[in-house]
Amino acid sequence: MKNFDELTRIWGDVALPVIALAPSSGTFAAVYQNAAADALCGGADLLDIMPAECRESLTDPEAAFVPDGLPLFLPLGDRVYSVVRFLWEDLRICMLNDVTVHYRENESTVNNALMANQAKSSFLSEMSHDIRTPMGAIIGMTEIALLQDGVPTRVLECLNKIKTASGHMMSLLNKVLDMSRIESGKIILQEEDADVADLLHEILTVVKPQADAGKLNFILNLGEVCCESLQADTVRLKQVCLNLLSNAIKFTPAGGTVELGLEITRLPSSGRVLFRITVRDTGIGMSEEFIHRVFVPFEREEKSTVNKIQGTGLGMAITKNLVDLMGGTITLSSRPGQGTCFQVGIPFLPGSDHLAACRTALDGKHILLYDDDAGRGERTVSILRSLGMQPDLATSSLEAVEYINDMAFSPEEYFAFLTVEKVSDVDILLFLPQIRQRMGSAFPIILLSENDWSQIEYVYTRAGADAFIPLPLFTTRLATGLFSFTDQFRERQQEEAEHAAHNFHGKRILLAEDNEINREIAVELLGMANLRIDTVVNGQEAVERYSRTAPDHYDLILMDIQMPVMNGLDAARAIRKLDFADSRDIPIVAMTANAFVEDIRNSMAAGMNAHIAKPLDMEQMYSTLEMFLGESR
Amino acid sequence: MKDYQIRYIENLNRILELADVSRESLSDTEAFFSSRYEKRRTISSLITENTALLRQELFPALDDVITLPPEEILSLREFASALRSGGRELDIVLTYTIHNALLVYARHQKKRDLLIEELYWTGMSLYSLHSLIRPVAPNRYTWRMQNLFGEAASYIKEYDSIEDPGTRGYIHRSMANMALSYMTGTREMGERKMRIIRNSLRILTDPVYHRKTPSLPWDTYIYKSHQERTTSLAFLRSSADSQMIREVMESAEYVWQKQLEISRATGAAPSTRWHVVYELAHYHCGILTLEQLLTRMERLFLERRTDDYSMEGIYCNIYLPAVYAEYLSYNEQYKQSKKEVLGYMYRMMLAYVRTVPASCMGISMIRNIMMTFINFIEYPDGLKQRDLLLRLVVCRNPETFVYFHMTACLSKLLLTETLRVRPELLLGVLDLDTEEALLAQENRLAEFAYEAGMFHDIGQLNFTQMTTQTGRSWMSEEKELYKYHPQIGESILRRCESTRLCADAAAGHHRYYDGKGGYPETYDRNSRPNQPVTDIVALCSYFCRLLDNTLDYKKPHLSLEEALAQLRSESGARLHPGFVRIFCDMEPTLRHYLETARLTAYRLAVSYLYDETPSPI
Repeated sequence: MKNFDELTRIWGDVALPVIALAPSSGTFAAVYQNAAADALCGGADLLDIMPAECRESLTDPEAAFVPDGLPLFLPLGDRVYSVVRFLWEDLRICMLNDVTVHYRENESTVNNALMANQAKSSFLSEMSHDIRTPMGAIIGMTEIALLQDGVPTRVLECLNKIKTASGHMMSLLNKVLDMSRIESGKIILQEEDADVADLLHEILTVVKPQADAGKLNFILNLGEVCCESLQADTVRLKQVCLNLLSNAIKFTPAGGTVELGLEITRLPSSGRVLFRITVRDTGIGMSEEFIHRVFVPFEREEKSTVNKIQGTGLGMAITKNLVDLMGGTITLSSRPGQGTCFQVGIPFLPGSDHLAACRTALDGKHILLYDDDAGRGERTVSILRSLGMQPDLATSSLEAVEYINDMAFSPEEYFAFLTVEKVSDVDILLFLPQIRQRMGSAFPIILLSENDWSQIEYVYTRAGADAFIPLPLFTTRLATGLFSFTDQFRERQQEEAEHAAHNFHGKRILLAEDNEINREIAVELLGMANLRIDTVVNGQEAVERYSRTAPDHYDLILMDIQMPVMNGLDAARAIRKLDFADSRDIPIVAMTANAFVEDIRNSMAAGMNAHIAKPLDMEQMYSTLEMFLGESR
Repeated sequence: MKDYQIRYIENLNRILELADVSRESLSDTEAFFSSRYEKRRTISSLITENTALLRQELFPALDDVITLPPEEILSLREFASALRSGGRELDIVLTYTIHNALLVYARHQKKRDLLIEELYWTGMSLYSLHSLIRPVAPNRYTWRMQNLFGEAASYIKEYDSIEDPGTRGYIHRSMANMALSYMTGTREMGERKMRIIRNSLRILTDPVYHRKTPSLPWDTYIYKSHQERTTSLAFLRSSADSQMIREVMESAEYVWQKQLEISRATGAAPSTRWHVVYELAHYHCGILTLEQLLTRMERLFLERRTDDYSMEGIYCNIYLPAVYAEYLSYNEQYKQSKKEVLGYMYRMMLAYVRTVPASCMGISMIRNIMMTFINFIEYPDGLKQRDLLLRLVVCRNPETFVYFHMTACLSKLLLTETLRVRPELLLGVLDLDTEEALLAQENRLAEFAYEAGMFHDIGQLNFTQMTTQTGRSWMSEEKELYKYHPQIGESILRRCESTRLCADAAAGHHRYYDGKGGYPETYDRNSRPNQPVTDIVALCSYFCRLLDNTLDYKKPHLSLEEALAQLRSESGARLHPGFVRIFCDMEPTLRHYLETARLTAYRLAVSYLYDETPSPI
């Protein structure tokens, strides 16, 4: 953090009032105020004398501090100031600009514009939400129908088309909703430890098939990665990357190339790291004129090649806003017919290192690596050494066997055999069975591959491979992959297994959901887990049904939020207020499509215990139910 | 052994007799021709019988090998041992198949002694397969045999708990055989090989082990390890370190002294091979000059017996000229002054090869013949490699010569016709970039097409035993092995001036035009400027195989019309569409040619066998 002297040096002589806020006990507090601000407040703290509403918008850690395009006006006495806000490392800087005259002249216009803009955002948000709810039903019912046996082929084809079309519709709606949320300042970043390897692999899983489908050459350039865990909002960061890549793929004709560059480097003397991605394509490019409008919502370049391509014109605007929100920068260069290159740089705090247990378990173990790509092999060796392991690198099948022979004559032994999927001198599918036979069934053989494991698993597990670690290789993936074969991991897993036996049999749930189709989906999914379910159609009925039953009759209440008569939040509050034996303890889980931080916060404030996003995801629902209904509970 | 096993081996021996060209009478071409086909029909019925025997008796047993009763396992071991037949290697792929199955059995049943024994024998079977494609080393067998020998050898850790002396012997033998994987002459390979032999010898000479298992033939093991180490002489040329030189010298001395001992005890002359090795070692450490070395080798060559088909005979008659040529090539002066001597050696070698009985035409013989090509020295006015190659083909397998000759003639016809109707298809061949230039060089191009057709399949030489003596249907292992023949052919042809131009045809004649099929997969047609000639040869070679009836030369396998229809059906995929069209339009010419083609080729083959002077080229 910047110290007082540094702040004084920079802002002390500035004529405009400036205050700096720093994180403090879950909020932001003023840590500096320059002489101009002192003069304005007569020695008092500027933060203390401003209206509460304005103060909260500056100090709330979860509020969108960085400008969202809307001005913030601060009335002090008979003057009105515009608050210019920006981030400086982890400080929030506010600079006050006296706009009294201008404000008075345009007050009604400004207010009208602000109201209109808010109304637009609110309308879009509500509309998107209202359309998303039935879309969720369509998607859910289609999935259930697809799971049925004996569906006629023609019907199956129709269902698959509905699935594809509704998926596309949902993604468009999500974009509109996102944009309106961003514009209305409702997006709050959920920063947590984000695994860069997971992030990249999730991106590649989406993007590679798209590139293949478009007959494009996809190249990944992985540069220095000084830190594999970041304190970042994974969902939003992935969204930025995917938007750029999807755009590149969309606007690059077959045979072209899309290149993703990723590097994470240390920012000198700040404790932060810079996450940089470069997305370069050889596509249709943009005109000089359009480059300046590319980040404006709903803007699309008017040319025949673009008009044929589906899109809302929101992707780049969302991307730019998200990058701004994360305190980063986005730049681009492009030439018509030659392609486009986007560069994004975002500073993040490094995340936690979870590899201590892995390092302890793997320390000193011998491992054999077979890779005939010298550069990649050396990189893997270097990672293995960083984990405390003793790797041997074989670059041919004969050399790999030599290492195994040498080890067989020594008192040591190999912990595992790592091999890439393709080498030049032997078919790995013929090589692995021999190694498996020789080393026995308990010896870990692990495949490193750029391919999707689900596509190659059948073949390689039969050839002798036990597990798979995706390429490009990350320390976390390699460490956790290898750790899973250690005694320490097995012991830990055994302990966890003792606590994690799934059994919902005999458990009873009260489900409050007004939408009939959504109710049907929930009942079907819950029924699959052997739960007994009672249903009601609004919050009022939920409270009444709960009140009429004996204590401990229900094990859990699933509550929709937006319902007629009484909404879910009010119903939860009402239940908690009841003077029943279990009314304070019975788990109440919210179900809503509004998966935003503030929605979750509101649910919790109303007395709910957890939150499940709609459309219902089976995995998420079961794991949430497991938390409350599992045997260990 | 079981009855079917005995019968199988009898049939194999019978096939060896029937396949023996060296015993054919050449006085009457027609009679020779008819006799060959008659024998091929008999061979074919024996192959059918043997295939059925394996299908009905052996394969069901191997399918269920894990649960076989002990007496069945014993019979399999006996069968495999009989197939090895004291080093004759009657059927190496089948031997490997049985040992591999026994290995699975031993591993599954946790029979440690049998496991160690079968690791050794499966490794040895792989070594035989490896030797077949030794010019392409390391190959698909190298790491596998290293893995098996390594695993067997690693039981040295459990030595004291193993009671059977034979099993202990397999551990020592496996440890020594780990050196067999290193055959190429690079320094790195040499160092690895020396390290393995050093480790093995350290244990073999350790009195503690001698005391633990006194019944093992320790002297033989040590002697064989020294023998193997002397083969590292080849590595000394790639700047070996002083330790390596000392060790190789030490082994050469050890082996030679042992030879002298045996000689004194038996009254027989010491082995020429080890005598030569001893002299070579002296040359490498500066005791002998090159001239002295060459003179000693000449003297040993003159002392050889030309009717000795043992390993010693093969060495003296075939390998020694190759070694002589290798050392001659070090010095330009000697290369010129000894030209006549080397020519004489080559001629004598050829005469010897012609007389080798089929039963002796095993892997060792072929390996030694191939060595001749690896070190072949060609003189402008001396014996050319192409002549030597053809004489070898013709004298060991006249039917193959017939196929080569027909492919050559058809390639020449097709090229000439292409020049007439679509010369643009040949642009770039022999660096001729215009149609005028191509037409001006018609004779040269026609000769090129003929030679490329004649030599395109020369890699088959390496598989002579497999193609002429396999007494059953081929297994997939044989098919895979055979796929190496383009690479081996290319490596032979590229070495000498007289055949270099044909190397591309050898490399690419089995790779499909569209790049989606055939072999080798690594073949890149775009990097071969003479690819049109390779396309022509590939087409003509395929056409000849479609016609070829191995049992009756008078009845082709497919009629001309059927063969042409087949070519059309593969146009654009396997074969170049332009050449297919031209070839099919040549139907009247082809019909006329085919009327006498086979018999003419046979006559040529026989005349060639009679007279060494005229060349079919």
